[in-house]
Amino acid sequence: MTVVPETRHAPTPDAPTVVSVARGGTSTHPVELRTGTFLAPCAMRRPGRAQRVALTGVRASLCAGDEVELRVDVGPGAELELTDPNGTLAYNARGGRAAWRARLTLAEGARMTWHEPSFVVADGADVLREIDVVLAPGAELLWWETLVLGRAGERGGALRSLTRVERDGAELLVEDLDLRDSAERELPGITGRARVLGQVGLFGRVPADPRGPDRLDLAGPGTLWRAAARRTYLVDTELGPVWRAWGGHG
Amino acid sequence: MGDTTDGTGALGVLLLADARLPTGAHAHSATLEAALAAGLRTEQIPDYIRARLRGVARAEAAAAVLALRAARENPVDFAPIQAALAARTPSRALRDASASLGRGLTRLARGLFPEHSAVAALATAPDDTPGLRVLRPIPLGALGAAFGMAVDQVARAALYDEAQCVAAAALKLRPGDPIAATRWVVDAAPDIEESVRVAVGATVPGDVPARSAPQLDRWAGAHAYSTRRLFVA
Repeated sequence: MTVVPETRHAPTPDAPTVVSVARGGTSTHPVELRTGTFLAPCAMRRPGRAQRVALTGVRASLCAGDEVELRVDVGPGAELELTDPNGTLAYNARGGRAAWRARLTLAEGARMTWHEPSFVVADGADVLREIDVVLAPGAELLWWETLVLGRAGERGGALRSLTRVERDGAELLVEDLDLRDSAERELPGITGRARVLGQVGLFGRVPADPRGPDRLDLAGPGTLWRAAARRTYLVDTELGPVWRAWGGHG
Repeated sequence: MGDTTDGTGALGVLLLADARLPTGAHAHSATLEAALAAGLRTEQIPDYIRARLRGVARAEAAAAVLALRAARENPVDFAPIQAALAARTPSRALRDASASLGRGLTRLARGLFPEHSAVAALATAPDDTPGLRVLRPIPLGALGAAFGMAVDQVARAALYDEAQCVAAAALKLRPGDPIAATRWVVDAAPDIEESVRVAVGATVPGDVPARSAPQLDRWAGAHAYSTRRLFVA
């Protein structure tokens, strides 16, 4: 795999990172890869029809006051593989707050996979995470997210993670994972003793397999598979086969 | 002012909170059976009630409030409320549990108030959620309208029923002192009232709370796979 250099724009304060791809002929190519304040998209060359883009950190984030914004646009029939190999670490905000927002728009027949290996909320961090997904008819998103409360030995800071997936104009999934109050999140039924919450979500299609108690079939066309554990590798071990069975790369 | 209420909706409040109501609620544990199977300790049950009241029960109470308000409109359209609640309930096992209670309440509503416009509209409630039967809060709101109940009365009935459902199931699963179990419900009053306030504040389907409870979803899923169980959900 080689890194293809692309034009980088000078970032303005808290500017959004933009990843926009379109289909041309049988393959997908970048339309716009714009470096934001915090993340730089990097086009990767690889065999196959999909365009792979890796996100790399421009500077340390998330600190108090940071507002990371990622906008992804996948054109009709295009295929994008988005990876975030380094993950995100939200630092102790010492009373301040940070936000991490992503808006994904998939046009008709578009496909996208998105792998977030870790989103770590360190002790003292206070983070609002908002993911908005808009799917046109026939579009499909496979997304693996990993939320980690605290670095090793920590209990973790405050996290509120809002997820909204809309398909063909109707809500497919709306979730408000509110882990801001550590006593409340340890109530039975919320996170229990888990520190790492992983989830593979397939939206736009219902896969046949695998099946099991951790599989959540949505009311509309979509399925989640969740895993929760004390350690990230345990979650990865459970979710890896699901990710691959549902068409994930790597 | 006298020392009595005007009676509006009062009978509805009593009926909807009565375990003898023929809706099939006795077969439900509000996922307590699965929680205990997964290791929840008896002394944690009050916390479990609290978590339910702030999560799934609050969403259902808000949906019931919206359903009651929709039931007073002309024409009555429950479909957007059912769709909003379905999108906020990723677990099929929890949707099935709500639909099973919804079926009992729908049967009751049709038997008691066959001519009521809100009861007739229950037939089109699943229009935007193919394959999913009517969820519990929808007929609860329709019955509330037919009984002339206020929105907070319907919300409180839904929340009280949730707390009482856990407490009653606990007595079957971990037999103990029924007065202690009743105390759990009484002690949950602040959480019930807080959720009533949130539920009554809902004005559009997008206001239905979407509080995620991953561990609860897992327990509900495991229960659906279990072959040895006392309660359906």
